[in-house]
Amino acid sequence: MTDFSVIGKPTLAKRSHEIVTGQAHFCPDIHLPGSLVGKLLYPKFPCARITRLDVRSARKLPGVVTILTAADIPGENSYLYTLPADQPLLISDMVRYQGDMLAAVAAETEETAQAALEAIKVEYEPLAGVYDVIEAMQSGARQVWPDRGNIFDHLIINHGEIDAGFKQADIIIENTYYTPLVEHAFLETEGAVAYLDENGAMVVYSSCQAPHRDRIQIARALGMPENKVRVITPHIGGAFGGKDEAHVQIHAALLAQASGRPVRLIRSREESILTHVKRHPVIIRYRSGLTRDGKLIAVHAEAIGDTGPYLNAGRDVMNFVAATLTGPYFVPNARLEAYTVFTNNPICGAMRGYGIPQASFACEAQMDALARAIGMDPLEIRMLNGLETGMQVPTGVTIREGRGMKVCLQEAAHLSGWKEHTSEIHHPAPHLRRGWGMASIWFSIGMGRNIPDHATATLEMTLDGSLILQTGAADMGQGAHTVLAQIAAEAIGVKFDSVKVIVPDTDLTFDAGPSVASRQTFISGNAVLKAAQPIHEALLQTASDLSGLPVEILQLREGMVLAEGELLSLTMSELAIKAMEQNRRLHADGFYAMEYPEQLPPGSYPYAPSVFTFGTQVAQVLVDIETGQVTLEKLVAVQDAGKVINPGGARGQVEGGVIMGLGYALMEELLVDQGTTQNSNFGTYLIPTAKDIPGLMVKIMEIPEPYAPFGAKGLGEPPLTPTAPAILNAVVDAIGIPLFRIPLTPERILTAIETHALMNLQNGS
Amino acid sequence: MFHANYVAPSSLEELLSVLHHYGGEAKIIAGGTDLIPQMRLGKLAPRILVDPQRLPSHGITETSQSIGLGACLTHTQVINSTLMQRVYPALVDACHQIGGPPVRNRGTLMGNLANASPAADSALPLLVYDAQVVTASLDGEQVIPLREFYTGPGQTRLAVDEFICEIRVPKFSDQTKAVFLKLGNRKAMAIAVASIAVCLSLDELGQIYQARIALGSVAPTPVRAYHAEAILLSNGLNDEIIFAAANAAQQAASPISDLRASAGYRSKMVSVLTRRALQMISRGLSQDDANV
Amino acid sequence: MSEFELHLTINGVLHVIQAEPCLTLLDILRDKLNLTGTKEGCGVGDCGACVVLINGQAVNACLVLAAQAEGKQVITVEGLAQDGNLHPLQQAFAEKWAFQCGFCTPGMLMSCYALLLNNPDPTPEDIRDAITGNLCRCGTYQSVVEAVLSTVKVSRKASHD
Repeated sequence: MTDFSVIGKPTLAKRSHEIVTGQAHFCPDIHLPGSLVGKLLYPKFPCARITRLDVRSARKLPGVVTILTAADIPGENSYLYTLPADQPLLISDMVRYQGDMLAAVAAETEETAQAALEAIKVEYEPLAGVYDVIEAMQSGARQVWPDRGNIFDHLIINHGEIDAGFKQADIIIENTYYTPLVEHAFLETEGAVAYLDENGAMVVYSSCQAPHRDRIQIARALGMPENKVRVITPHIGGAFGGKDEAHVQIHAALLAQASGRPVRLIRSREESILTHVKRHPVIIRYRSGLTRDGKLIAVHAEAIGDTGPYLNAGRDVMNFVAATLTGPYFVPNARLEAYTVFTNNPICGAMRGYGIPQASFACEAQMDALARAIGMDPLEIRMLNGLETGMQVPTGVTIREGRGMKVCLQEAAHLSGWKEHTSEIHHPAPHLRRGWGMASIWFSIGMGRNIPDHATATLEMTLDGSLILQTGAADMGQGAHTVLAQIAAEAIGVKFDSVKVIVPDTDLTFDAGPSVASRQTFISGNAVLKAAQPIHEALLQTASDLSGLPVEILQLREGMVLAEGELLSLTMSELAIKAMEQNRRLHADGFYAMEYPEQLPPGSYPYAPSVFTFGTQVAQVLVDIETGQVTLEKLVAVQDAGKVINPGGARGQVEGGVIMGLGYALMEELLVDQGTTQNSNFGTYLIPTAKDIPGLMVKIMEIPEPYAPFGAKGLGEPPLTPTAPAILNAVVDAIGIPLFRIPLTPERILTAIETHALMNLQNGS
Repeated sequence: MFHANYVAPSSLEELLSVLHHYGGEAKIIAGGTDLIPQMRLGKLAPRILVDPQRLPSHGITETSQSIGLGACLTHTQVINSTLMQRVYPALVDACHQIGGPPVRNRGTLMGNLANASPAADSALPLLVYDAQVVTASLDGEQVIPLREFYTGPGQTRLAVDEFICEIRVPKFSDQTKAVFLKLGNRKAMAIAVASIAVCLSLDELGQIYQARIALGSVAPTPVRAYHAEAILLSNGLNDEIIFAAANAAQQAASPISDLRASAGYRSKMVSVLTRRALQMISRGLSQDDANV
Repeated sequence: MSEFELHLTINGVLHVIQAEPCLTLLDILRDKLNLTGTKEGCGVGDCGACVVLINGQAVNACLVLAAQAEGKQVITVEGLAQDGNLHPLQQAFAEKWAFQCGFCTPGMLMSCYALLLNNPDPTPEDIRDAITGNLCRCGTYQSVVEAVLSTVKVSRKASHD
């Protein structure tokens, strides 16, 4: 067991001082002299033809400096996250959802900008939109686009022989599951500050997850060469996928370009909830075939995702749904389908989990349904079917490291006292029912095969022995910069505090890819290791020269030089100076791309991921059967991280994921009526408060992942995924009634209880 | 952003003159916790905001018959007052469930009543404690029983130039018990989906000689359930009476369906909450014991 | 719209400001005084990102007219550290990872600071109550409770030593 000096040790987060003193600057805090206020004009209807858009009188208002419409965009009027590009930055003829943008305004004050918006003359011909995803799929349905059908994509993953599989099944269970439209609710809304510097370069501070992708998009929209655009991430107040695709930063840059002045564009909370991408609501029909002794033999599951009118991450998210629908289990025969469907509902895109929360919800609720059907303990059915190293999954991939599945499952069962739940405390009062539920998940790390998935990191040691790490990986609070600094410190052999992180700045840091798919620890971490290696070697060589001792017995640790464990009186600074004198390089960059050494058999899913993390959560709930209110009393979360780089950060990711999952399970749902969101503020869209969470018990397992830096894989998204199904399964256990839809609002629970009672009455039971 | 002038009069006379002068275009801004969001969303656009915080503060005053809750008394001040905890525990409970501490530190009882939301938590205990609203205008003082104060959703009997200067609550005997219960879609910071306050006075034989029930979020205004109260009077708190009162209370409600819940759910909850509140009083339980 | 002359004492410093009366305290702090530590998360008092102290009580700065803060003691997150030394709460937040993205952190710190002013020995439940009005989407509630508890232990120990 290696004794690390920095990896796995509790360190403060990089930039923690700025955060706790309030000095951390987020986009709304960046005040540049001469700044204009930017605002965007949103439509009055979710689906309409624009018959008139006249900004002339608005342009004349005193204090209004620039108003842009689609015609004014010098370059490409398009978001470019996904191709084919179909979402305009500014629309001119058709409104396709409530968050489309018609015009961009830059004015001297907030008030003037608002007045300008109100002075823009728009006339609409409201059109009947497509608001029901099932209806949208029918032939003869109204079409969202004139030139393409509502069903944009239909992915089918086939594995084994599905028909034969079902023939062998002793029991077949089919259920349909529903997940809601969900809001990211990051505390800092979308924002950007853009200005032209003295060299005519466009500098954009962007609250974003993908600074280099922002750079491309800004350059293309502005018609500027990419090397004249500079994107910098200041502190980012949460993102959770909602700031992966660009939001307002391109518009801010367009306004800065047109006006020649700095522009700050920040969405209000209401605008944010109405416009930015959401988590896909998904309907999953799940058909499982089981043998009498509880083995899964066949799964045919069909997922339908309402993606709104623009593609964005729609197909990619639905592909992840399909690829993970069978869960962390061995399923020899499967047919997994995903539909990406256009409607005029709010646009959906990346949100923490990227389709896997929806898939996990259905899979895990179904596992409990199967367990109930054959009278098996939910723990036992999962142990019986759980994946192990070497097993093949429906995408064609063979599991490289699968111990985590059963290790986490057993650990969660143990910590929660799963086998000790007695019946006495099931009914603590006449109107109360207690229940326990579990959920196991697998979560893929990285984008998947055949998709660009790489990162570069740069390290430089200075002459006093301190380290500079340049990374293009955005840190939205998930702790990437801290983790990468720890990896750098460990790999070189210096103290964590002597590492300075240069945060994403496209003029200074190379592309590390977007901070998504829980990938930065793995991919940027490996890039850091690659950058560190030549520097470390150079330092060791120099130490050998200075000490006369062979390199093999030398070690660098926390800024000290050791020979067979004995401290030498050499400082890092002496090594650095000597190396420089000897023309040895002490700076390097490292490039790492996710590796897929194994070839998949023909017919495999081409984008299949190969790195998985596993986790299990157990929830204990109390249900008030007269009001339907659910209280989460306890939750045990066991998550495999491969290796914990930072204990405080890792625990935070798990707790944070669980709390978001709790919201998903119990209270979060955007209510959309004919394409218009009804609950667009924090008073009506509810996320968990401190009073909503019970005691959380978190345990992070460390089963090293091959190819991962120190064996560490991602933690940003996985802990979110078991929570909602664990809570649903616990509620079902409490009330003895199957449930298929989240959020489990009190009214839904009560309706289920009453409907069930009514059915019993009618059946004479 | 919004535009309004602002004045903080130092005397009641001055305040009343301003209200009178501006007619309906002046709004009292005390805690601002309801007013500012409404102005920000463009639902209200007063020309001038009149701040009563400079008026001589009366805080909580006590006579032998009643307790007076002064004009700018905040929810936090109610919660922290040992007198209020002892005499009006249901009001303390209700204030404690409004928003979070920052909202409670600013929001006033007076403002909560004047805002006239049917979901106003503090209105229900005040109704069952039979509170009176003491108002002042240039024409003089008025005492309006709270049960007559609300005239419609968001509407009260307050004239545009009238100011609530006190909420007067009678004192009750030790045999009086009151309870406040609230259901929301989250454990805190939630507008009530359905809420109730019940105040009963029982004699030595356990017979009810005074009964008041107020329902929230289930009608255009906070409402009293008079028929349910009548069923309780002169009876003891047994299961049969409780059941009958719960049914009657359900009839008194006329809930709507909205973002938070359907009318049907709210209606059922009136019955459940009434029964539970009465059972709590019957068993001498506190809110925490009741697991609601 | 006529401007008022306001006298606001922020973190012990008196500021004389010309401002329209209907600007909120949050507007003044962020736009006129460049004290951007206090954040706007929703603008209507639902999230607590703008919590500051007025006369020792936690309030949402977005719901206070600047004029209403006239003559009162306002403390913001910038006023917690003294002479460059972090307040024990700030230190504890850093050590216990009681933040992730940091956007809700100033408001969270101020709610906790207000709690400790009134209740120097809070229970975990007291702390949860105190931060009820502070939404954190990153989900740091449990760490915040631990951070506050750790400062109480420290001061309890210090007073015993």
